[in-house]
Amino acid sequence: MLFVWVMLGSFVGISAMVALNVFLRLGEPARLASLDEAVERLDTDAIGFRAGAGVLSEDGSAALVEENGGKRIGLVTAKGDEFLIRYIEPGLVRGARLGEDAKLTIRLNDFTFPPYTMGFADAGEARMWADKLNAMQE
Amino acid sequence: MDIPAFIETFNPIYYAIPLFVILVCVEMIHAKMTGSARFEARDSASSLAMGFGNSFSGVLFGGILTAWAMFIYQFRLFDIGFAWWVWPVAFIFDDFIYYWVHRLGHTVRWFWADHIVHHSSQHYNLTTALRQSWLSPLTLKFLWLGSVMILIGFHPLVIGIVAGFNLIYQFWFHTEAIKKMPAWFEAVMNTPSHHRVHHATNPIYLDRNYAGVFIVWDKMFGTFQPELEDEKCRYGIVRNIGTHNPFKIAIHEWLSIFKDMRHAKSPREAMMYLLAPPGWSPDGSRKTSKQLLERWHARVDSGEATGPATEAEAASGASQVTAPAE
Repeated sequence: MLFVWVMLGSFVGISAMVALNVFLRLGEPARLASLDEAVERLDTDAIGFRAGAGVLSEDGSAALVEENGGKRIGLVTAKGDEFLIRYIEPGLVRGARLGEDAKLTIRLNDFTFPPYTMGFADAGEARMWADKLNAMQE
Repeated sequence: MDIPAFIETFNPIYYAIPLFVILVCVEMIHAKMTGSARFEARDSASSLAMGFGNSFSGVLFGGILTAWAMFIYQFRLFDIGFAWWVWPVAFIFDDFIYYWVHRLGHTVRWFWADHIVHHSSQHYNLTTALRQSWLSPLTLKFLWLGSVMILIGFHPLVIGIVAGFNLIYQFWFHTEAIKKMPAWFEAVMNTPSHHRVHHATNPIYLDRNYAGVFIVWDKMFGTFQPELEDEKCRYGIVRNIGTHNPFKIAIHEWLSIFKDMRHAKSPREAMMYLLAPPGWSPDGSRKTSKQLLERWHARVDSGEATGPATEAEAASGASQVTAPAE
């Protein structure tokens, strides 16, 4: 019986803690200030990433950077107030689908990476990156 | 042997839960006022959900663990009993065992599949302390490491209670709000500073500071690394997860091991995927903590990047290493 009360109390406590977190507005959404910041994050994370061409999403929430002389594309995406990084290699891409308003949705063969949509400044650039990513499906 | 009545139903963690809730709320308010700790609602919710699920898992698997403990207690070497001195001895011994269990939890992928849950947040606050796994018995560590004290003669109830106090101690140091404790305390006890290092993914911090309560175990066995002022901790795991779904958090590394073993080219390779350090791969395309550290050192030495002082240099007061380009 004590266990039931502990669980009920824990549930109330958890609800209170999450509510307080939301109420206090802790954790501002992460944003990249520039493409250079994305490159720096990729470089630090991989302990060496030679950056080639790259693109920053319109709102700074994500970036794609090709590896210079390599086969990988570095992907930096906002996850809450933090960033999530993936080095996309051939076979990792499930699909890159172009939507309306130059939005590109990236799906990876990765159980822990939910589909991510990034907005581009123009549709041509979005299409170019979609093609690059889709070429990495195999 | 008579078992004192008070310990038969005593679980110190139950009584600590209200304190956990209060301290998390205090840390959140402190974070809002000072910016000295970071929270994110979905991250906190998933950490707390993992803690909640861990309690259920404890009840589900508790019967098996208790039955095993009472079974092997019949084969104990000594009757240690419940005298007053047994408790501090058991507490220290349990912390020593914890150090090795924890170390294996980081260096054997089978065990890492369970422990990775606790490290899967990119935040380091008091909710992170409660982010615990749901499937710990799958590691089968209770069959051997968890049996050592019982076979020596410590009663399972004594071990359960001191282990509970050990976990309660470990709650408070999951915070960025406390920078350093007094020097004498930092020298002997595990502290927020020491444990921040443990949760960091900076190569120099990987697989360091395994201690539960007493940091002296790391100093004795060569795994101690102090927090360095010029190397800010980056929390999480080497390949961070992008999900807040508690079920995915609980099983993602188990699935990853299964997938790797299924595609292994030989039984040896399959066993290496299970038992080698996390990051091991037959072609070296992934990196273990040791390989990441070597790569980082090579990079610092080549002058491509700057790095902080090593432990020895920090201890000698040497300034930050910036290797000259050769």
